Amino acid sequence: MLCQNCSKREATTHIKRVVNGEATEAHLCQECAAKLGYDNFFDNFSLNLPDIFSSFFGDSARALAGSRTDRCEKCGCSFDDIVKTGMVGCADCYDKFFDKLLPSIQRIHGRTRHVGSVPAEQLTETTATEKKEETAEEKIASLEAEMKKAIDAQNFEQAAVLRDKIKELKEDK
Amino acid sequence: MTWYQNSGKDSDIVLSTRVRLARNLRDFPFPNRLDKNECRKVNETVRDVLLAGDDSLFYTEMSALNSYQAVSLAEKHLISPEFASDSTGRALILSKDEDVSVMLCEEDHVRLQVIYPGLSLKEAFEKAEQLDSKLASSLNIAFDDRIGYLTQCPTNLGTGMRASVMLHLPALSQSTAISRLAATVAKLGLTLRGAYGEGSRPTGDIYQLSNQVTLGISEEAAIQNLQSIAEQIIAQERQARQSLLKDDVFIDKIYRSYGILRSAHMMSCDEFTSLISYVRIGACAGLLDVPVEKLTYLLVKMQPATINADAGEKYTSAQRDVIRADAVKKALE
Ligand SMILES: [Zn+2]
Ligand SMILES: [Zn+2]
Repeated sequence: MLCQNCSKREATTHIKRVVNGEATEAHLCQECAAKLGYDNFFDNFSLNLPDIFSSFFGDSARALAGSRTDRCEKCGCSFDDIVKTGMVGCADCYDKFFDKLLPSIQRIHGRTRHVGSVPAEQLTETTATEKKEETAEEKIASLEAEMKKAIDAQNFEQAAVLRDKIKELKEDK
Repeated sequence: MTWYQNSGKDSDIVLSTRVRLARNLRDFPFPNRLDKNECRKVNETVRDVLLAGDDSLFYTEMSALNSYQAVSLAEKHLISPEFASDSTGRALILSKDEDVSVMLCEEDHVRLQVIYPGLSLKEAFEKAEQLDSKLASSLNIAFDDRIGYLTQCPTNLGTGMRASVMLHLPALSQSTAISRLAATVAKLGLTLRGAYGEGSRPTGDIYQLSNQVTLGISEEAAIQNLQSIAEQIIAQERQARQSLLKDDVFIDKIYRSYGILRSAHMMSCDEFTSLISYVRIGACAGLLDVPVEKLTYLLVKMQPATINADAGEKYTSAQRDVIRADAVKKALE
């Protein structure tokens, strides 16, 4: 189908808009959609045709999609599905396909690290794990200090025990 | 009172402020992978949390609304046109004052919106945050330490927040200033585009300024950024209006527009929207004695689907043009 605005290029964008009291669809090419201001994904329209969505992911992502059998255990979505629809299947997909998604996320946002708020529930969880890490770190530090003392005192047997303890803690982390 | 019955800070230029948050429940696949029954489960789970102890909110399945009622909600900027166009598996939570609206199973499980009159980004964000904590305290929200709130489309990752202000910029639209402005704000991670109609000059010169990037910027920083750019645009528009109002041709346009609105027998929505734009400047400049909130109210209430929804009738476009002309005449008498 040709773009309804320029009648030149292929329409790849599917836009829902309100015209004269009715929700209607418009088929536009990517350039016209951008020119007409339809570039805010959150707001006034959605793009339903897979083409434009997968363009986010770029050709390199499409090449990565090769292994079709690799699916998210929770929702059954493959990376290929994500590239085709531009929609991620579930929260677990982000974990499963994190490395493959990251270049596209970088392309969309220019950044890859969240710096905003954290959900109330998660906040307590993160602080709890942080605490755990801190105590492990602290423990190692104090054991290392103890070990150094033992070596200084030429108490090698105790130093060996402490060394093993530290090793264990470091592996646990 | 709804946003369109009221005025707020900088209401001579800012019609409304919106903050929207996208959230998903960790335990359910995203909406594109849900069937109707699973959608209902999501909708009712969220309903039970948000409506608990809050009798200002009510819940409706979108299939309970006719198409005019649904589109009218989009005309009032309470839901997206996309949400209005398909009711399958979708539900809405709305507050009595229409300041809070929550789209359920749109592109994400939850799209929560707060809309206030005038420029009030901080207040709208605070209210949205309050509802968001209510959700997070009882539900397992999909979130990742690295990339923030998880959304169906990667474009909304991070904060999942879109904040926007609706601006009336008739004076800046007269010159090429507006397109330069659009290019400038784009470089700052914001977008400026027409709120009604499309093309280089939107109907009624009403624009929407919103943040574009959601990952790698905090909510507070994004809001602050939007606030300061909005303030600069407001200052520029006020200045541009001052020189416009020295022009007799322009002043004549204001009075003529007012005259047509008070005497026409038929009025299309497009004509109405462009005429009321002039009346709005006239009213803000003190040339016409019309309260600005009355003009905002008309702007929303004279939209086609809203006329039908309010009357409970399926009027044709021509019938609406007569009804519109009549209602505007009475309102501006
Ligand atoms: Zn085109
Ligand atoms: Zn999945």
